[in-house]
Amino acid sequence: MAQLSSTTGEKKPERVAVVAAGVVSPLGFGLAETLNSLRRAKDCVTTVTRFSVAECRCKTAGQIPDERLLAGPNKNQRAKRLHRASHMMIDALREAVMQVPQFEPELTIIGTTSGGMSYGEQYYRSLCRSGNLRHAPTWIANYPAQKPVIDAQEEVLGVSVPCQVIANACASGTNAIGHAFECVRSGRYQRVLTGGYDALSELVFTGFDSLQASTPEKCRPFDRHRAGMVLGEGAAILALENLELARKRGAPVLAEIVGYGISTDNFHITQPDPSGVGPRQAMERALQSAEISADEVDYINAHGTATIFNDAAEGKAISQLFNGVPVSSTKSMMGHSLGAAGAIEAVISLLALRHQFLPPNINFDALDDRLDLNVVANESRPAVVRMALSNSFGFGGTNASILIRRVEA
Amino acid sequence: MSLAIAGMGWVTPLGNSVDAVWERLLRGDEASATPISEQFADRSYSAFRVPESAVTGLAHPRLRRASVISRFAATAGLEALQAAGVKVDSQNAGRIALIFAISNGGVIYTKRFYRDVVETGAQSASPLLFPETVFNAPASHLAAILGVTGTTYTVVGDGAVGLLAIKMAEDVMMDKSLDYCLVVGTEEIDWLLCDAYRRWRLLRSAPPIEPFGKQKRGMILSEGAGAIVLARLPRRSAAEAGEGSITIECAHPGGCYGKRAEAEEILKRIVRDLSQVEVDFVISSANGTFIDQAEQGALEQVIPDAVTYAAKPAVGESVGASGLWQVILGVQALRHGELPPVLHADSAISLRLARSRMTVAGARRAIILNSGVNQQVAGLRLALR
Repeated sequence: MAQLSSTTGEKKPERVAVVAAGVVSPLGFGLAETLNSLRRAKDCVTTVTRFSVAECRCKTAGQIPDERLLAGPNKNQRAKRLHRASHMMIDALREAVMQVPQFEPELTIIGTTSGGMSYGEQYYRSLCRSGNLRHAPTWIANYPAQKPVIDAQEEVLGVSVPCQVIANACASGTNAIGHAFECVRSGRYQRVLTGGYDALSELVFTGFDSLQASTPEKCRPFDRHRAGMVLGEGAAILALENLELARKRGAPVLAEIVGYGISTDNFHITQPDPSGVGPRQAMERALQSAEISADEVDYINAHGTATIFNDAAEGKAISQLFNGVPVSSTKSMMGHSLGAAGAIEAVISLLALRHQFLPPNINFDALDDRLDLNVVANESRPAVVRMALSNSFGFGGTNASILIRRVEA
Repeated sequence: MSLAIAGMGWVTPLGNSVDAVWERLLRGDEASATPISEQFADRSYSAFRVPESAVTGLAHPRLRRASVISRFAATAGLEALQAAGVKVDSQNAGRIALIFAISNGGVIYTKRFYRDVVETGAQSASPLLFPETVFNAPASHLAAILGVTGTTYTVVGDGAVGLLAIKMAEDVMMDKSLDYCLVVGTEEIDWLLCDAYRRWRLLRSAPPIEPFGKQKRGMILSEGAGAIVLARLPRRSAAEAGEGSITIECAHPGGCYGKRAEAEEILKRIVRDLSQVEVDFVISSANGTFIDQAEQGALEQVIPDAVTYAAKPAVGESVGASGLWQVILGVQALRHGELPPVLHADSAISLRLARSRMTVAGARRAIILNSGVNQQVAGLRLALR
């Protein structure tokens, strides 16, 4: 499959198509609902109901309603015993597979940060309180991070596909897509499923609250009055395929992934280097990987958690590399879904490319004086979007960026 | 693409020098089980723990507050890099990838963090502990210690995750800008894990681990880390440059089983794929649970004559670290032409086990099998060039 370059004899990299996508998030179930919420700039952050937040500073998160997630028409008895994260993955994968029923993946690469953490919490609480541990084996068996991936494959594909689960904190989803992209681009694989998931959990919620990274107010990325993040949850799946093969078999090509950059900055386990060197390197490497210049990028879906330090570092890096490119953080609408964030935001970028609009950065009042960014404030707007960059950065100094290109129908 | 194993390091319940632990295994030594008490009930578990002395030599500010899982990983990773003669500096920091394999992760700090939340409320949650609960905390500590600035991944999974991480390393090394990939598998023990595996009916209350036993009495958990440095063989004169080196000749992408009964079929496929060329011995991941039967069935049906060694009766089931330990054992066996004895194996087992210290002189290839208890299996083939 791989072509040889006529000048160097090196293999030319394969082109990588996104042939299908599926998503479940507080913005909605599926691409159509997500698109609608993005266009309407819908604020999907609500008061947390899954566990008590009485003692936390932050009281809100982007949540997926259980009445829809757990009670769909396709949910069989077995599926009802699974973790919420498995249900999210099943729904996202089902939507993607419905678009390309003939898609037979050779590998699945998924990002997450906390697997089925809430089952671990239930198990521990029951132990502490000498509670009912009758369901402990179910909680334990469904807690591991690979379980929702395998559950989704079994439920939707009905086959076993080798899977790699990347847990690079909040960069996990973008890392998973980026690695999947590299796998197809190198010619080693022709079809790879990728994406990310995470379900809201008390431990993680409390953790970010203890760091005072989450806010009791609205999530206002890049705003001068930003006070922190809110959490979210969800899952998104992208089906990647060798572009040439996809076209040969008549598969729909939704977009093309053209670049991936990864970097590690070793400044601090929870804070980015204030110089923005980590995010800048990730974005630079994505541009180099795609062999494009910064002025070819039409939209940046920022990591934009709305914490003081993250937005400052990312904002600085963006303004150093790009000149007035429209930027938004869609976390303002749905919260930060951690390992799912990069995957959901890749889908949002895909929608921006497909439907030629800029997703909004809501709750925005005024730009931080120290930043020089063109923020898509509060409302979505039509635009020519040919190339989108999506950023994700995480604990441990992991930084990842991917570039997605519009493909004309 | 074949990658050479340029360096190895480990921290095990039998010590932390590759050659010293290897010698102990050859002698038939078994790690000593330590009791771990349960917090909420009058119950005690047995586990193979790493001796304090194995990680005390490492002092780095980044590890001051880190859990032992990060210390194990750093110790093994630094040992592997030293063995490979690789010194990370600002010139090559972007040319080294770091891939971690983890299953349960930082369970000690995770439990401590959540215990505070449960017992005294969210306001007691520690902002110092929380970052250490994240799966990639050990990787980020080692990246910071080394100054690695490029590709860093933490892969999570069950007991197969070590080999899955090596498979990922093989894919990552397709990037020609990378010279080396350090793969580290690491795990720590806590009573909470023991309790969880017991409730799952996979844990035995006290040693021994009886590999391939019909009774499936269960495993004993252990802790530690294993690390290997993978290097691309020089393109020109690969044969002579690589003479005597050991390569990952084939890393299988592995598979996932839905029901336990399906594990054997997937393992059969993996063993079949890996035994397309003559294989001299197998390093099995038998740990005394249901998965042993699947491995045994696959080996008996595909390569019944291959000699099989299982180390877990001697060092325990270290889950995320186990795959790396098995690879290191495979390399040692190919280098030294010997296999240690499989401990506590019933004489009726029909596999061709290395029941006593056994010569495998002239051996050129080995299969490593990594079978997890939570739906993942993987395998790879080592070759002596």
